[in-house]
Amino acid sequence: MTSSNQSIIEVKNLVTHYGDRNILKDINFSVEKGEIRVIMGGSGSGKSTLLNHMLALLTPTSGSIVIDGVDVVNANRKTLLKLRQKMGVAFQGGALFSSMTVGENIKLPLQHHTKLDEHTIDIMTRLKLELMNLAGYEDLMPSELSGGMLKRAGLARAVIMDPKLLFFDEPSAGLDPVTAVELDELILKLRDAMNMTIIVVTHELESAFKIADKITVLFDGEIAITGTVDEIKNSKDIRIQNMINRRARDEHLDADEYIKRLTTGKN
Amino acid sequence: MLTVFMTKVKTKIEHLGDSGLGIVESSGRLGVFLFNTLSRLWMYRFPLEETIKQLLFIGARTVPLILISGLFTGMVVALQFYDTLIRFGSVDLLGAAVAMSLIRELGPVMAALMVIARVGSATCAEIGIMRNEQQFDALDCMAIDSFHYVMLPRLLAAIISVPLLTAMFDTFGIGGGYIVGVLIHGVSDGAFLVGMADTIVWNDVWMGIVKSFLFGLVIMTVCMSKGFYLHIEQKQSGAVGVSQATTQAVVLSAVLMLFVDYIVSSLML
Amino acid sequence: MTFEQKKHLHYQLLALTGEVDLHNSPQVRKQLLDIVESGSSVIVDFSALSYIDSSGIATLVETYNLAKNKHLSLTIVGATGAPLQVMELTHLNKVFPMIDSLDEIKG
Repeated sequence: MTSSNQSIIEVKNLVTHYGDRNILKDINFSVEKGEIRVIMGGSGSGKSTLLNHMLALLTPTSGSIVIDGVDVVNANRKTLLKLRQKMGVAFQGGALFSSMTVGENIKLPLQHHTKLDEHTIDIMTRLKLELMNLAGYEDLMPSELSGGMLKRAGLARAVIMDPKLLFFDEPSAGLDPVTAVELDELILKLRDAMNMTIIVVTHELESAFKIADKITVLFDGEIAITGTVDEIKNSKDIRIQNMINRRARDEHLDADEYIKRLTTGKN
Repeated sequence: MLTVFMTKVKTKIEHLGDSGLGIVESSGRLGVFLFNTLSRLWMYRFPLEETIKQLLFIGARTVPLILISGLFTGMVVALQFYDTLIRFGSVDLLGAAVAMSLIRELGPVMAALMVIARVGSATCAEIGIMRNEQQFDALDCMAIDSFHYVMLPRLLAAIISVPLLTAMFDTFGIGGGYIVGVLIHGVSDGAFLVGMADTIVWNDVWMGIVKSFLFGLVIMTVCMSKGFYLHIEQKQSGAVGVSQATTQAVVLSAVLMLFVDYIVSSLML
Repeated sequence: MTFEQKKHLHYQLLALTGEVDLHNSPQVRKQLLDIVESGSSVIVDFSALSYIDSSGIATLVETYNLAKNKHLSLTIVGATGAPLQVMELTHLNKVFPMIDSLDEIKG
């Protein structure tokens, strides 16, 4: 997927706070059209915060986020609305509405934003359900679905309008290995057939290495590296090597202090 | 020793200050929430389908509860008044007394309490769970306005249902009073009904309507707001946060409702 | 997106040019359903089609189904690139008759 590659996402000097705490410290990166970018980092690295800011759910302290030419931070409601119809988001637990069936959940964006005929909408919904291996589940309620199925239903809803951009929050979390692999392959298929740009936030190494064109690694609110899978694997950064080799953080053990903690409970 | 004491006093005062600021902040949030919800009335089309669904849940399904509580309230009020009035030989005033208490005061307040118990707690929990599961984030990302799609229908359904439920409560209550007064204690049915019709004026009924309308507004706004701002106001998220928010919502809406009751009564009497 | 309709043997040929998406697929739908309603089998020419989204695919499915019920046919000719990939993704390339050129259709 080469030819004219302009950045579809440009994040510049992004600084965010939660109350007084500085979460993201001067983040800079860009994503090209048709790319699959994986954003990785441990808990507390700020990757979820970064995602929420890209989705314009939060406002940064400073910096700019430009998605498909739109300055997301300063855009007026109407512009943001139009941009959001080109973006699909698959949330961690699916985030389906419990008062509607699976089918009604998936149809919702179409019913709100398009004037398509009811027949067309129904077939589109079923096409997406088939793609997610959820054929026949459209009349069930979300409470009747397993965790993995909820994720897939949420993904179906995210892609129902064939968005240009897809954001995926922790796709593999809580899934069995077989389903996780199927989901990875689905992500690749979606990019190839629908020419989507896909951002995946995850901490699962195997998935990341399998699907990513480039990986952005965050530590403590800063970008450690943005690179291809090989560049990441060959990185000299000790934190990255620890992450890849799944080594625990090096902790120095003071024998006396340890015994004191165990016997008295005082630090 | 003195410094330790002073530090403790200072900490207590700081806490008081924090609580005060917290109350001001929540009130502000509540006001903004109400304005945001109402503003969707002129910003977008009227949410007919969703409001009707909520009318079913808030209004129609609360009717059995209203029936029972209205009946028993009316019966108790009649019993109490009968016992008092018979001592003055003014038992013929029973109809008027029962109707007046129900229409002006007991009807609106009791119906509102039933709505808080059944609808308020459930709505707060529902909205709180939606917040927890990122459903509002999902709506935002789908460019669907949550205030228009989720909040406004519920608010509209409440301000339509609560006055109607109050009217039903009054009716069942007067019926209960009739059963106790006329059927059980032998008060003249003519005296009961005519006395009632003669004494109640339009202002009494109007007061009941105004109160129940405002009660519906207050209850739904408080309960939805507490659920919606769960992630900001509650110390713990998840299921514990939802139950904390629901408890606060029920208590706050009941207290605010009684406050509004006093204001309206003093203004309209 | 533009489309052109003409007769080819006993079929009606609908040639699509450009991109079919949420906004213009209703027009295509109306055109296709009218053709089938009037009793003619239809060939959809994808050669000049650069992109088709799910609403376009759904329209084809609906048309195919209607045609089948009336013992008529829907055929796709000249699918390449992204539209072909979408047909493969949805497995519809195994359902719709897909040919490379009009020559394959004998009178």
